[in-house]
Amino acid sequence: MMGMKRIYKNQLLFIVALFAVALYLFPLYWMYTTSLKTDTAIFAIPPQLLPSSPQWQTYIDVWNGSNIVRYMSNSVFIATGVTLVTVIFGSGASYVLARYRNVWIDISLFTVLMLQVLPPSLMVTPIFVAFASIGLLEYPRIATILAFSAKTMPFFVILCRAAFMTIPRELEEAALVDGNSRAGAFVMIVLPLARNGILVAALLIFMQGFGEYVYSASLISDNRLQPASIGMTNYLQPNIVTWNSIMAFAAIYITPILAAFVLLQRHIVNGLTSGALK
Amino acid sequence: MNIDDSTIQIGFTDVNKFYGAYHALNSINLSIPKGQFVALVGPSGCGKSTLLRTLAGLEEISSGTINVGGRTVNDIPPRKRDLAMVFQSYALYPHMNVRENLTYALRLKGVSKEIRANKADEVAAIIGLEDLLDRKPRELSGGQRQRVAMGRAIVREPQAFLFDEPLSNLDASLRVRMRKEIRALHERIGSTSVYVTHDQVEAMTMADHVVVMRAGKIEQQGVPLDLYKNPANCFVAGFIGSPAMNFIPGVIDESGESVTLDFEESPSLPIAQSMQPGRPVVVGLRPEHVELGDAQSCGYAAISISSVEETGSTTYLFSSATPELVIVADGSQQVRSGDVIGVKIAPTNVHLFDPETEVSLSNG
Ligand SMILES: Nc1ncnc2c1ncn2[C@@H]1O[C@H](COP(=O)(O)OP(=O)(O)O)[C@@H](O)[C@H]1O
Ligand SMILES: [Mg+2]
Repeated sequence: MMGMKRIYKNQLLFIVALFAVALYLFPLYWMYTTSLKTDTAIFAIPPQLLPSSPQWQTYIDVWNGSNIVRYMSNSVFIATGVTLVTVIFGSGASYVLARYRNVWIDISLFTVLMLQVLPPSLMVTPIFVAFASIGLLEYPRIATILAFSAKTMPFFVILCRAAFMTIPRELEEAALVDGNSRAGAFVMIVLPLARNGILVAALLIFMQGFGEYVYSASLISDNRLQPASIGMTNYLQPNIVTWNSIMAFAAIYITPILAAFVLLQRHIVNGLTSGALK
Repeated sequence: MNIDDSTIQIGFTDVNKFYGAYHALNSINLSIPKGQFVALVGPSGCGKSTLLRTLAGLEEISSGTINVGGRTVNDIPPRKRDLAMVFQSYALYPHMNVRENLTYALRLKGVSKEIRANKADEVAAIIGLEDLLDRKPRELSGGQRQRVAMGRAIVREPQAFLFDEPLSNLDASLRVRMRKEIRALHERIGSTSVYVTHDQVEAMTMADHVVVMRAGKIEQQGVPLDLYKNPANCFVAGFIGSPAMNFIPGVIDESGESVTLDFEESPSLPIAQSMQPGRPVVVGLRPEHVELGDAQSCGYAAISISSVEETGSTTYLFSSATPELVIVADGSQQVRSGDVIGVKIAPTNVHLFDPETEVSLSNG
């Protein structure tokens, strides 16, 4: 009796999960199919679930005609910059937050969490004014990297601190007694053991940086320096909206990152859920 | 014991340590000659690990001085103190194999790879880990990990070895074996060792010199048997020896040559020294010092027994009167619960303590 009940319950949960997954993945599916449809097929009623005659030419046109390579290089540049800044400053910070316990640490942690709450659209105006006054807007991509790193930092610090907390303090103490300095013990013992956690957090930060929109939109005015997230909106013109081109652009933009995520998902999940020592 | 200054390897002078307002180490004075095996023993939380960690440089002291090899090390970081430490958790580096773990300190010193490999082989032979050099710590049993931790200390040929309860994570039989091995290793290498344990048997059997601590203070130190025979106070008397010493209140008799116990039929025990008549005392009697005999014979006090535990080799007897008197008897004794037996204690085995200060009143 109990067994049967459990099986029904599991099946029900499975169906709910499938439904949720379908709901989340539908836009992705619609992006890929729309990118392959003709202009008329896009607005056909009833909508076509699969394009009747896939228009691969759209991809070739977008690749050749929209500077997508330049836009994506800028995206990679910004994402890499954000990741480097966040990892370099965030690792040290999260180590300190993991190792020391006092009132100031608690206050810092709370402040860090507070930062996570503030939306970029709210922060961007004061940041713009501040950056303009110190001349940082001369280097708009650097400005974007710095501004967005401030946004990714709390997320990174929280993930990374959890990774450091799983490493017993005695390992470091053993290294100190064995002849290491504090910094040496951090580099030779703590970092290698926290490596998985840090890499996973860095990867998630990279993906966020790759899709960044709000800061780029306000801080980068030169078209040649804009990332793909901005480049895509160039298709949204007042009179004609070429949906299939936008969707092809979007597909080219996100497929690499999606592929990376799928390939690494096991590592990501492991890195997020298990300690360094298991 | 008279110790010449030049042979002192480790010295604590008036060392105090505070955690906030908590006085974790209270005026510690301790001198350890070169080559000696010293055990720090005391109940959990008494500050043994703290003392060891201040010596290693992992904790700063609040006042006083610590000397290692004739040098004041107060402001010297752990890496420059040249001490090796074996942690309770072993603290093996999980991302390194046994060979790398053993020779990590040598690598930090810049010793060449070939010499390190030779050293690792040499030490592995001493601790019996030749076949495991390429394993990671997670692939080892508890006992093997313990050996690697020992080996990691031996490789360094340090000024002194520091052990923090290195055997407490092993099962009982392995613990007894490792006790002997560590002691044998100490004799072979001949270096100074400071060994922290909460187990008084470990301390008594392994050490040349035992330091008993309580609440951040050194209560007494000396050679193991001296602590057993002449405990300085009730705490040490009760801590050293197993089962623990019995404590019974009493009053010195008119003659000053015997003490009347506040126990059952108020028996009177002769004492080894003469004391002020009428003085209240606490009488300490070790369970193994109580001699059994006929309750009617001269010189024996009658005691009724409420329960008996037989282990075969020894028999434990528990009195029905309070405070409960524990007696350790030969396994051949035929005593049943409810029996009334006669007991006698040699005057030199009667320990007297002041009821207020708990300090020993026996003069050696
Ligand atoms: N970092 C610390 N902060 C505050 N109190 C501590 C700290 N480390 C140890 N203590 C306290 O100091 C006392 C002695 O601890 P310890 O030396 O570890 O005892 P043990 O004799 O069991 O090894 C304990 O009461 C412990 O709570
Ligand atoms: Mg301890």
